[in-house]
Amino acid sequence: MELTAYDAYSRGKSTIMFGLCVLSTGAILAALGLVVGYLISIGYKSVDVAFFTQAPVPPGGVGYPGGMLNGIVGTAILIGLASAVGIPIGLLAGVYLAEYSSNSWMASPVRFIADVLTGVPSIVVGILGYELLVVPLSHHYNGWAGAVALAFIMIPLVARTTEEMLLLVPRSYREASVALGATKARTILKVVLPAATGSVITGVMLAIARVAGETAPLLFTALGSRFIETNPNHPFPSLTVQIYRKAMEPYKEENRQAWAGILVLLLLIFVLNLMVRLAASPLLRGRHPRR
Amino acid sequence: MIRAKTIAASVTVLLGLGAGAFAQDVRLQGGGATFPAPIYQRWVTEYQRLHPEVKIDYQEIGSGGGIKGITDKTFDFAGSDAPLSKKELAKAGGAPSLVEIPTVAGAVVVAYNLPGYKGELKLDGPTLAGMYLGAIKTWHDPKITALNPGTNLPNLPITPVYRTDGSGTNYIWTNYLCGQSAEFNGTIGSGKTVEWPLGSGGPQNAGVTQIVQQTRGAIGYVELAYALQNRIPYAVLKNKDGNFVRPTGESVSMAGEGAVGNMKSNILAADIWNQPGAKAYPISSFTYIIVHKDLGILKDQRKAQALVQFLRWATTDGEKMAEQLDYAPLSPGVQKKVRQALDSLTLDGKPVATAR
Amino acid sequence: MSISSFDSRIPDPLTGLVGGIGGTPARQGGIFRATGNTLGGDFYLALLARGSAGIVLLMLATLVPVLAIAAVPSIRGFGAGFLRTTRWSPEHEAQKRDPRTGFLVHDEDGEVIKKTVPGVFGALPVIYGTVVSSALALLFAVPVSLGAALFLVRIGPWLTASISIISFLIEFLAAIPSIAYGIWGLFVVAPFLQNHLEPPLNNFFGHVPFLRFLHTDGQPIGRDMFNAGLILAIMILPIITAISRDVLRSVPRVQIEGTQALGATWWQSSWAMLRYGRSGLFGAVMLGLARAAGETMAVAMVIGNAIQIHSSIFRSAQTMSSLIANEFAEASTDMHRSALIEVALILLMMSLAFNVVARYLVVGRHSRAGGA
Repeated sequence: MELTAYDAYSRGKSTIMFGLCVLSTGAILAALGLVVGYLISIGYKSVDVAFFTQAPVPPGGVGYPGGMLNGIVGTAILIGLASAVGIPIGLLAGVYLAEYSSNSWMASPVRFIADVLTGVPSIVVGILGYELLVVPLSHHYNGWAGAVALAFIMIPLVARTTEEMLLLVPRSYREASVALGATKARTILKVVLPAATGSVITGVMLAIARVAGETAPLLFTALGSRFIETNPNHPFPSLTVQIYRKAMEPYKEENRQAWAGILVLLLLIFVLNLMVRLAASPLLRGRHPRR
Repeated sequence: MIRAKTIAASVTVLLGLGAGAFAQDVRLQGGGATFPAPIYQRWVTEYQRLHPEVKIDYQEIGSGGGIKGITDKTFDFAGSDAPLSKKELAKAGGAPSLVEIPTVAGAVVVAYNLPGYKGELKLDGPTLAGMYLGAIKTWHDPKITALNPGTNLPNLPITPVYRTDGSGTNYIWTNYLCGQSAEFNGTIGSGKTVEWPLGSGGPQNAGVTQIVQQTRGAIGYVELAYALQNRIPYAVLKNKDGNFVRPTGESVSMAGEGAVGNMKSNILAADIWNQPGAKAYPISSFTYIIVHKDLGILKDQRKAQALVQFLRWATTDGEKMAEQLDYAPLSPGVQKKVRQALDSLTLDGKPVATAR
Repeated sequence: MSISSFDSRIPDPLTGLVGGIGGTPARQGGIFRATGNTLGGDFYLALLARGSAGIVLLMLATLVPVLAIAAVPSIRGFGAGFLRTTRWSPEHEAQKRDPRTGFLVHDEDGEVIKKTVPGVFGALPVIYGTVVSSALALLFAVPVSLGAALFLVRIGPWLTASISIISFLIEFLAAIPSIAYGIWGLFVVAPFLQNHLEPPLNNFFGHVPFLRFLHTDGQPIGRDMFNAGLILAIMILPIITAISRDVLRSVPRVQIEGTQALGATWWQSSWAMLRYGRSGLFGAVMLGLARAAGETMAVAMVIGNAIQIHSSIFRSAQTMSSLIANEFAEASTDMHRSALIEVALILLMMSLAFNVVARYLVVGRHSRAGGA
């Protein structure tokens, strides 16, 4: 059958496929609605002011159940530290894969390795972090190890998404830039990257969202803490670990705290996403190639 | 151009980051067993109320994690639901260099899901073993009806539910059943993780609880707190003396009292399942805290003092909070042994000097 | 200076050709050869970029030896049988049985002799679990993702001024932590499957021999391979959709208009779009697959944790990642830990092999394929 046979069969098929695409989008939104709806229904009751202002209080203690401020601050700091390390390295690696690969033996292996590294189970990253960072270096659990473990997950993800997005920028952009006398570095920094900003940000936000929701790597590196911590030299709390612990407790009130924690984590990412997109929108206006 | 606001913000952050280093706090880090986590959390917060500068944190990462922590010296103290095995003791530095004390005792209860069944279900060890081996397949089996005459058990197939993750609870449960059934002992055996021939598995107590709640005809073993908090019915078990006993703080403490004789030197580990005693609950167990005998490894005299004082407080005053959280406090005989063990803790060869 | 490609892999939007009019100078540094600026910005950017790529290599170089060294006892102990054995039985204590008669052995006093039964480990069931659950996840997620991406790129802009809200919502799915998916899967999906979906399937397919894999073969359980595949699919939807959307959005209009000028239906031009971007789409799917294979917490809660191979997708199973998550913390013996690390190593090897082979098959010799 030729590509463009315009017979009744093809038209019928086209209509069905069209419908399926609409349905697919609907399906994703429905899944989102089901999951988030369920999470909201079990969690909203426990989200109160205390949740955002207090550290957790164990059952039987004064001020039970307290809140999860330790986790909120902890996750915020951990994401910050992990991103500070992971995003630049990931971006630059992505730039390498996209722009410098034609005359290098390293590119293909690095691409495969990055793909494979995105598939390493998060618990293995945690075990690696424990064996390399916690035991030999500091002899105690600490927040730096947790941040590095998270960065380990971020780097290959950001690298691959950045590469894919940079490769979507048409070749003519680069050629035009060179024709105007720009160097390679200039071209990449001033032409290619800006053209791909929106997509690259998507990749970065996906990586941040992924890492913010990870528990296993932190269990073995940052461990967790009931205190509100700002010093990464100490065992470090995080929302995800707190949620996990509370979800596994027998006490219903603790479980409800966990569900509330999930909602707050979602809110955190939501706000972050919004902020980043708003901040980047002046960069995006008029940039995206509308071929 | 660096703006003043940025400088101010950076300085604040740096101060905040460094704040912990300058405080006068004494920090201790412990972790391990999940079973006693609620009471340990209660203890550390209560103790901090009494001594605000002592900040102790306990993270329930599982007994294995606790043992690893004390072996790798990443924890100052560790919790374990099962006593350390010979291999684990050796790896952590050898039995003479460690102190292992029981802190509270608890019960593993048999939760079940029999819709419409009213009253207490009576079971015994051999029957339970039979269920988990697959020999007893439905609730109408004569062995079960013999224990519960005159009741209307629904005619459902039995789904035995087990823990899929390694745990001290598995250890206790399998050890108990090994003692009750030679067949169980010969096939499934005992340990923190074993292979189960049939049934349904879930991770952690929460997982087992959830499966029992959702599966009609299911039976599973969980810690007492989970059954109570989720309002799941649990069985009354026949103990060694032949009496049917409910799991309560009292019946578990009864089981613990008999163990005093087995506690020697500094490794006060004792298995207290299937103990003699009219009112003893058969599936009871201690949970332990392990510390290094020479607290010089903490590299801080204040930390060593705080740890010893905390442990002393926990195993005396702290015991009063146990019942409130569905645990059984240590009986006086056991408490005495614990005190002796704590007295043997040293700091660079000398006993740890504390207020008491 | 000839008009050669900046990067031989990017197709020219106008002609769709890879390599440009003048052919592909493979290793000449492309169009920048004449503009070399050795000590300026070029040098530093190239250095940083190379360095970052080197860090990625370093990450693997750190991971593999640590895993390999830890796995050595298990590799030595079980050898190739590790990949064939279906038993996973950690070390435990059991009563001694006479190997010949099977009777339990007692010593002189009639006491039972307990001995330590060494651990026996075999990875085949969890390899099966990972492969099937990931395949199910891709089966559910890829068509839906690509369909949604097509919608967002082709249909959406006509319906609303900005489809970025829908895009944003889809990315929101990525923000849900894996435990939350596990909880939803356990408390919502599992009962639903157990009570509403699986019993009818039993009635339907129980008697058809070839469709036994759709039959629960026993009590409906809810926490099974199907549940895991479903949850994984939802988890990987955002990443595949988001990347595919951007890939398809960058397909030059010229290509689409060309097919339409030849009389293509909507689907036929969409298919041309998919083919044009298949390299990027492949990358998106690979990232989704990697996520699915490596997911630990959510899977551990919904897959039933039964280390077995069963033909039905409605029976409990176990994946490599969730096995490690379940057992590592409490692994009491070194051999147990070592076996778990060997499982991790096998997963790593499998993904590497799969990546290389799949990329070659789908995308071809050039890691970027040309257009129409």
